[in-house]
Amino acid sequence: MSNDPKSIIEELSDHYQISEIKEQKADLLLLKIPKEDAVQFIRELRDGQNYTHLAFMTVIDYIESGIFTLTYMLHNYAAHHNIAVHVDIDREQTEMESIHELWVHAATYQRELREMYGIRFPGSPRLDDDFCLEGWDEIPPMRREFDTVSYSRERFFDREGRITTDPREHMKQIMYPIHTDND
Amino acid sequence: MSLKDLISPFYVWQRAFEKPYTQKHPIQERPGAPRYRGFHVNVLEECVGCGTCETICQNHAIDMVQVEGLEPKPGDSGLRPKFDYGRCCWCALCVDICTTRSLRMSNHYAWITEDPTDFNFIAGADNMSWNGEEYGYRRDDDYHLLRGERVKMEMLAPEEGLKSFEEVMKGYTEEQAKDEADRCVECGLCVATCPAHMSIPDYIKTVREGDYEKGLRILYETNPFSSTCGRICTHRCEEVCPVGHQGEPLAIRWLKRAIVDRVPRERYREILGDEVVENGKQVAIVGAGPGGLSAAYYLRRQGYGVTVFEAQARAGGMLRYGVPSYRLPDNQLDKDIEYIRSLGVEVRFNTCIGREVQFAELIDDYDAVFMAIGLNVPSSLRVKGEDHPRVLSGLQVLDDVASDKNPGVGKNVAVIGGGNVAMDAARVSRRMGANVTVLYRRRIADMPADPEEIHESQAEGCTFVTQAIPVEIKDADNPDQVTIVWGEAEMVADEKGGRPRPVLQEDRMHEETYDCIISAIGQGGSLDFIPGDYRDQIEFKWGKFVPGDYQQTALQKLFVGGDIANNTADAISAIEDGHHAARGIHKFLTGELVA
Repeated sequence: MSNDPKSIIEELSDHYQISEIKEQKADLLLLKIPKEDAVQFIRELRDGQNYTHLAFMTVIDYIESGIFTLTYMLHNYAAHHNIAVHVDIDREQTEMESIHELWVHAATYQRELREMYGIRFPGSPRLDDDFCLEGWDEIPPMRREFDTVSYSRERFFDREGRITTDPREHMKQIMYPIHTDND
Repeated sequence: MSLKDLISPFYVWQRAFEKPYTQKHPIQERPGAPRYRGFHVNVLEECVGCGTCETICQNHAIDMVQVEGLEPKPGDSGLRPKFDYGRCCWCALCVDICTTRSLRMSNHYAWITEDPTDFNFIAGADNMSWNGEEYGYRRDDDYHLLRGERVKMEMLAPEEGLKSFEEVMKGYTEEQAKDEADRCVECGLCVATCPAHMSIPDYIKTVREGDYEKGLRILYETNPFSSTCGRICTHRCEEVCPVGHQGEPLAIRWLKRAIVDRVPRERYREILGDEVVENGKQVAIVGAGPGGLSAAYYLRRQGYGVTVFEAQARAGGMLRYGVPSYRLPDNQLDKDIEYIRSLGVEVRFNTCIGREVQFAELIDDYDAVFMAIGLNVPSSLRVKGEDHPRVLSGLQVLDDVASDKNPGVGKNVAVIGGGNVAMDAARVSRRMGANVTVLYRRRIADMPADPEEIHESQAEGCTFVTQAIPVEIKDADNPDQVTIVWGEAEMVADEKGGRPRPVLQEDRMHEETYDCIISAIGQGGSLDFIPGDYRDQIEFKWGKFVPGDYQQTALQKLFVGGDIANNTADAISAIEDGHHAARGIHKFLTGELVA
């Protein structure tokens, strides 16, 4: 019932616009699919090609290109093989079709992605419930524009006695002090 | 209630005799996985204290601190990272960004202590059980957050370069410059090594931001020869750039040029905002090279009347007469010099101290004197027959070319020496159509010339004969030619730990005939113009001035700098000497400097 991954992709290529296909390891194939076709494609892998398990869902923030790349990691138990389905979505219009009806536990991943990156999955159960942050009132913390350092500096005090030294200034003081006068 | 319900609780008891899954106290620690992100390890001798780990840390968990026994030295701030494990999240960005790869992680993950201040420690310096641990996370070879490759600069192909004196290096485009500037980690380790202590990370930042006006202002704080230095600086800063530990160092020199190339000379005054308010005091400067004119610039900005005495017909010193125009085009040197002169610096050309003007007049007539006369007497080869008419000096050849005179090198030329003057004399001769052989007594790696100069000389077809010691120069059969006798040398280790010495092998001698021999093994200075009673008050060593603080001599009015007063003998050191002397003269004339 399970074909080898390459012939699966070949077969599906007739119906889907699959790109950036890369055999990362013997048991892991990466590929990209347009947002509109993604859920249908994933359904096909689950029901037609025996990739019955959603191992995890995550996202990569490509802030420079203005996109989030969603990653759906699907597993085929019989073949011991994984396919990572990448889906680019707009970083500002962050909305993606939910897959909680394909796998119930996807709702939990989607809640996490909503909280950490602000991605909306309309219809996903309890999407807006707190996942692990309580009372968070900033922009989602895993978005790369979030400034972790200043956030923690504003909210938490430093350990007592911590001091740091600027390398350039330190070298100046010790190595060439009299060349530092103003004109 | 069924029988099964009654019996089932007792089933549990059968487990009591099996080996438990849980572990007994005290816990036997299980080793972390080989690439586990455990507690930090730092190899202190490899770390250079650039602080890039501190900058990238998203949790503000790293401080750069002094470590007992580590002092700052060129390329190493002497500081080392101290970790606050109350904040660390073990993301390992610090390990991934580390410029030297000295920072790593062990696979240790359990640390119990009753004193919370213990969790603030200097990795590698404080005595931790995981120091030197073989396992743990380290950066993969093929993964680096820093780009190791320098942005390549377009250059004239060697066969094209040979046809003219056109500038070889073409400069960065705006995009290339930004791309290269983007590789800088802004640690500032280079600033201490730059003789002029230029604010290198700050001006690189202006390239990244495309703010060339601000860049120019930063350059002129320490260097009024930025167009020149952007081309021919010895760039010792690049030798200590931490990015160079795992790749190529930043092209700092080219980035300086990228700024100056984008600001037209006519706009300098407006951008730099230099206003001269005369303060009535007069300073004499001897030598219109980079040292003298830098002093002139900084003194003029403070309102001093400045008169520069120059023996030659044009300003620039060794930059004009010693650096060929394919490395430094005249108009670029002029750009720097014209701006300095535009502030009202008077230059008296063809005026030699001891000839047109006497040393004592300067001392008597001016409030202070800065002397940066350079080195212009070629060193002797110290072999028999070196006064042969077909033995030319490298300096003279370069001087002739810069003055549009034909030095008459002929078709077959031997150049003796391994410094920049030798390389330039060789490349100039190639451009005049000669076959060139460079004879050097040591190995290529020992040559004092810039590596780029050596490579370009080779690319342009100069033949290098190394470990060759000249023994005698004599007449050839043809009176327009000259014959050199040279012997092969073996490199012999120096017992005192110095660099290896070439030793002549008398059984392996060669005799070759050339149209001319260009001698370029160094140069010295001439201080004969200083009268004896002054001379006794000034300290000299090996024919050079020995300046004190602020380049001042014991003859209080006299400040000295440049090649005649330092051991590095390059443009950037002369520029700093000039700037520093200007600081000193200002302090001296305002009574701040007590000699």
